[in-house]
Amino acid sequence: MAHAESAHVVLPVPAPFTGRQDVDPEVVRELLSHFTFDDYEEAQELILSALQEVNEHFGWVSPGAAQIVAEHLNTTINRVFGLLTFYADFRTDPRGHHHMLVCHGMACYVMGSQALVQELQDTFHIDDGETTADEQVSIQVVNGCLGVCDRAPVVKLDDDYFGPVTPRELTSLLHRAVEGHRMMQEKGVSNGPRPTG
Amino acid sequence: MVHARPGEHLARLETKADYVAFRSQAQARWKDLWEGDRTVVSVGVGSSSIAKGALQVLDTCHAELGGAAVVREVSGNGAFWMEPWIEIRRPGEPPVVYGPLQASDVASVFNGDRDDLAIGVRNSEPLGTIPSLNDHPFFKDQMQIISRNAGVIEPDSIEDAIARGAYDGYFKVLFEMSAEEAIAEVTAANVRGRGGGGFPAGIKWESGRKARVTPKFIVCNSHEGEPNVYKDRHLHECDPHRILEGILIACVVCGAERGYNYIGGEYPLAIRRFRKAVADAERIGLIGNDILGTGHNVAFRVRTGGGAYICGEASAMMFSVMGVRGQPRTKPPRSVEEGLWKRPTVANNTETLANIPDIIVNGGEWYAGLGTEGSKGTKLMTVQGPLARHGVVEVEMGMTLRKLFDDIYGGMAEGRTFKGVQTGGVSAGPLKDEHLDIPVDFDSLGDVGGMLGSGGWVIFDETVNVVDFARYLTAFNRYESCSKCVPCRLGNPALVEILDRIRFGRGSMDDLTLIQRTSKHIIELSLCGLGQVAPVPLIGMIEQFPEDFEHAVKYGTMTAPEAALAAD
Repeated sequence: MAHAESAHVVLPVPAPFTGRQDVDPEVVRELLSHFTFDDYEEAQELILSALQEVNEHFGWVSPGAAQIVAEHLNTTINRVFGLLTFYADFRTDPRGHHHMLVCHGMACYVMGSQALVQELQDTFHIDDGETTADEQVSIQVVNGCLGVCDRAPVVKLDDDYFGPVTPRELTSLLHRAVEGHRMMQEKGVSNGPRPTG
Repeated sequence: MVHARPGEHLARLETKADYVAFRSQAQARWKDLWEGDRTVVSVGVGSSSIAKGALQVLDTCHAELGGAAVVREVSGNGAFWMEPWIEIRRPGEPPVVYGPLQASDVASVFNGDRDDLAIGVRNSEPLGTIPSLNDHPFFKDQMQIISRNAGVIEPDSIEDAIARGAYDGYFKVLFEMSAEEAIAEVTAANVRGRGGGGFPAGIKWESGRKARVTPKFIVCNSHEGEPNVYKDRHLHECDPHRILEGILIACVVCGAERGYNYIGGEYPLAIRRFRKAVADAERIGLIGNDILGTGHNVAFRVRTGGGAYICGEASAMMFSVMGVRGQPRTKPPRSVEEGLWKRPTVANNTETLANIPDIIVNGGEWYAGLGTEGSKGTKLMTVQGPLARHGVVEVEMGMTLRKLFDDIYGGMAEGRTFKGVQTGGVSAGPLKDEHLDIPVDFDSLGDVGGMLGSGGWVIFDETVNVVDFARYLTAFNRYESCSKCVPCRLGNPALVEILDRIRFGRGSMDDLTLIQRTSKHIIELSLCGLGQVAPVPLIGMIEQFPEDFEHAVKYGTMTAPEAALAAD
């Protein structure tokens, strides 16, 4: 049925999780190809959207990718880095194999998300925006809101939401994810895109 | 009956008559959907329900029921507690809403074996033993005006929206009403800015219209960075055409040649649905040159932000649209004189603009009859914390907080006791139980240190230490300060340091005085709204819960192992 097939095209399927990977300049150029503009003003308006697209695709904006964005939109790399360091959504370091968002909005705070942030610091020795030494897990503490407040406190590991989560559950969740990944590696399964859904 | 995903089949409408014909077609299609002989299954898909598996439910519906029923992807209806839900309309019966369910339940629900999951009938009359949804306490006291299409229309379908009255106001402004009359209606309605400022929209529009420099722009501010508010995201997900219509009306009335919508980048679904709405409106010629043959030209651009709370401030938002760091600037000149690209720019909040279509259609008088003396209309509210139910609701201005919390949200969750409620996001102080009988509008909470703001309330109970909570709120402002003004950039970290000293048990009573003095400097010497209110939650906490702070000064707030750790 054509209808059923089209269902996924129009739904927001999260970008397949790709872990740490090198940024291919050709892919960046391909991503940027639909950012066309008529004048200088419009080009400037597009910088943030272009960076967002790169950030979403690779999980971070590498210096090389930033350079390509700057060239494509007729601006300077300084300007682009000014934006990358100002806006919270952008990462300038690669993600770990697993990326976790910890919701630290007010609703999650009053339900105990501070304990989760503390747990990550104590057990995995990582803070907001950092990646563990073995590159397994990177976390991002979301100051805004993931919008799933009835499950507070909420974490999002790769594409899945979990909540309400206790610190103990968070630890076992991460250990399971890391362990699963290690087993895959030992079996020789590469870290390619995971099937979604 | 074809219910293909709308889009490609849409053709440009050249004249008024074309549009009227298109509208009656859409209305006939809508009528056929609900009165025809096919079973209609609607799945509520929004960012909150996706997190709970709504996409799997939708896929299952497509796979298993695709032949037997029309499957629609509608938005969430604000009731998070019943997600994921599906609505089944069987021929000859009103639609019944079932939830919360999982993909495995779909078949049995569809076959009518799971009436235990039925929540209500979307109809004024009950169906057998299933009560009407409107009688559910969560919906009974709501007044749904701008969110009335939530969970009803397919947000991706411009025909659904038009059948339910979208673009009627735009049509009126294009053909039946002069710009002066339209502004008079908005002024008579006295609709005030919903982003927290409360500035009357009519006055803003009037000065926008009078500005003589061209081109002019309209910017819709859909960036809500507050850590507890998602009303604009909800509105984008459930009825993007309403927001678009509000912006287009503003463009025509103020003579602006381009409309913008600035959406926070963290809302992928809202952005996708809004972009789809813009693309469809462009296809049928409601955006572009010579709209429906009237000679009006309006262009439209969607811009996304990058997650900075400060970009909710109008001048910072405009800088962000222009692709630079979002840092507020000094005023004057006001943005209606010199805004985006130094042109006159009218900036309104999403919810404000979403109110405009109904004001134009029904008249300012009608709108002014809703709400309270100083605050007209309805307000979207989000209440969070340990409550029985969660979600986004729309209530008439002037409802008491107690009614909102106890009736609509079902009171505190099992085993929790109310301690206080944080108001106005991170811009105002908390309220205690004795303040809950105050009717909520823009002005009345100020006397007790609270604020309506953008309608976000966070309830906390005894498990939350207010000193730690105050530190959290201050740390949020420290993190989100744009670093332009020194008092805000250095003052907020200083406040956090003082609070940490108190929390570690090394504070003294002098620290409380020091907090007051530092706060005064931040409030008086900062440029924008963020800095001027950054210490207000902290001061409010001290005012409402002085005994907790005194206790913390003596003993700290940390348990022994934490304190030992902190001492290292």
